[in-house]
Amino acid sequence: MPTATQQKPTKLPVTVDKPTPYTFDLGLLLANDPNPVAAPPTGSTTDRTALETHLTSIARDGAQVLINQLLTTCPITSTPAGVLLSLPAPQTPLPREKPVPAPKAETKWAAFAKRRGIKPKTREQRRNLQYNEESGEFERRWGYKGANKAGQDDAIVELSSKQVDAEKRGDGTTSVRGDKRREIRERVKRNERRMRKNERNAAGRK
Amino acid sequence: MLRQIKPRNARSKRALEKRAPKAVENPKKALFLRGTSCSQITQDALGDLYALTQVHAKRFQKKNPVHPFEDSSSLAFFSEKNDCSLLLFGSSNKKRPHTITFARTFDYKILDMLEFSIDGDSFRSISQFKTDKVPVGTRPLMVFAGTAFESPVPNNFTMAKSMLLDFFRGETSDKIDVEGLRYCIVITADEPTTSSSDPTPTTPESTPLLRLRVYTIRTHRSSQKLPRIELSEHGPRLDIRLGRSQPPDETLLKEAMRRPRLASDERTKKNVSTDLMGDKIGRIHTGKLDLSELQTRKMKGLKRGRDQHDDTGEAEEEETVVGEEAQPRKRKA
Repeated sequence: MPTATQQKPTKLPVTVDKPTPYTFDLGLLLANDPNPVAAPPTGSTTDRTALETHLTSIARDGAQVLINQLLTTCPITSTPAGVLLSLPAPQTPLPREKPVPAPKAETKWAAFAKRRGIKPKTREQRRNLQYNEESGEFERRWGYKGANKAGQDDAIVELSSKQVDAEKRGDGTTSVRGDKRREIRERVKRNERRMRKNERNAAGRK
Repeated sequence: MLRQIKPRNARSKRALEKRAPKAVENPKKALFLRGTSCSQITQDALGDLYALTQVHAKRFQKKNPVHPFEDSSSLAFFSEKNDCSLLLFGSSNKKRPHTITFARTFDYKILDMLEFSIDGDSFRSISQFKTDKVPVGTRPLMVFAGTAFESPVPNNFTMAKSMLLDFFRGETSDKIDVEGLRYCIVITADEPTTSSSDPTPTTPESTPLLRLRVYTIRTHRSSQKLPRIELSEHGPRLDIRLGRSQPPDETLLKEAMRRPRLASDERTKKNVSTDLMGDKIGRIHTGKLDLSELQTRKMKGLKRGRDQHDDTGEAEEEETVVGEEAQPRKRKA
């Protein structure tokens, strides 16, 4: 009967009154109940059940207060995944498990960039795709079929007058072919040398 | 000490990065292990605690000849090898029956240790309660009841609280589903009896018991905005007496308590604060006041044109004024 069920729910108490107020750490879902626990003495089996009911009542009060506090003070958002409570950061100091990581040592370039106010490259600037105006297509800037390899494997290499003179005199030990590749290798090696130097400096400063 | 591993491929590099020190740390993992003799009760208790924290826990099946309070080096080794910073070592012997030694590590070194002696008579495991079991990985609510936990000086009870908090907190996230508030861990400390109130160490029987109870939460409509909470016991039920302890080393604890500076907590402007009324208050430094031109009391004898030598009284007065004015003042900005 609908009328009977409507009358049935009485107002159940949802508040808890204790002489000393609870303290909370909602980030850890923690409630502290500083009130003394007046537990009945244990011994026989009847005492044990009395103790358990006493402990359960303490627990119920604690859980009720904690959930009241969570539902009243934390912002609630409804999402398709469910009703979410936003918790504050934990307050109780607990020891870490590992030391705080030391900040990374500044490289020579980073120091220079900071001095000059050079911003790090954006994601778009770091992209390996660029638009080629001549062909009207996107191409890679480096790597497989990269634009930086253009003219590297050409069958015919144009020489400047200086290079022609050097060739005639024969003081160049390497051929003009593969010059570009050698240059890239050189730059990579130089960068690695700098990297190692930065690492050495960082280790020395510690 | 384990050998230093240099990653040779991306997979091992990722694995090493996972366990490297971080500003915002991974949830602490617990390692469950047992000594050469370990009673059934202790094993059950360890198994139940493992079931509650399964996501962030690891369990050993074999026996380990370890005595944590005599030599904790092998615990430190296990901690490093398994990347676990909480260790629960179960053992049982005639002198100390049903004991779980709880150890925490910092930087793979033992930070502190505490012995939990389980009362064998009142122990009940999870399987002895006929309630619905909570899903794996659910965060518990925690309630610590009793005056013993509120001690301002660190003692065994505050240490136990800190350890249990560390153990049960799991993964701290800033958002939680309301449906996920499923169970509650309540740790109650008995009141210290009168005999144990004197500062001298007393017999273990008179120290207060810790009662660890785990309940599932049921909510009822209360015809008010907030729900009415009812609990039913979920298990395990542990009555714990605190035994031997090894308090944390001062320097190690200080290092462990350091908070990293995170990008999220933006640097507050110096000298600017907000008071209770929401007014912005700034403290500014007014600089040194030039008191050479200060007009002091006009007297005939102090006229500038007259004798300049015997003005000691004026000099004294000036000094005291400087002391007052150099204080930084509070002004509303």
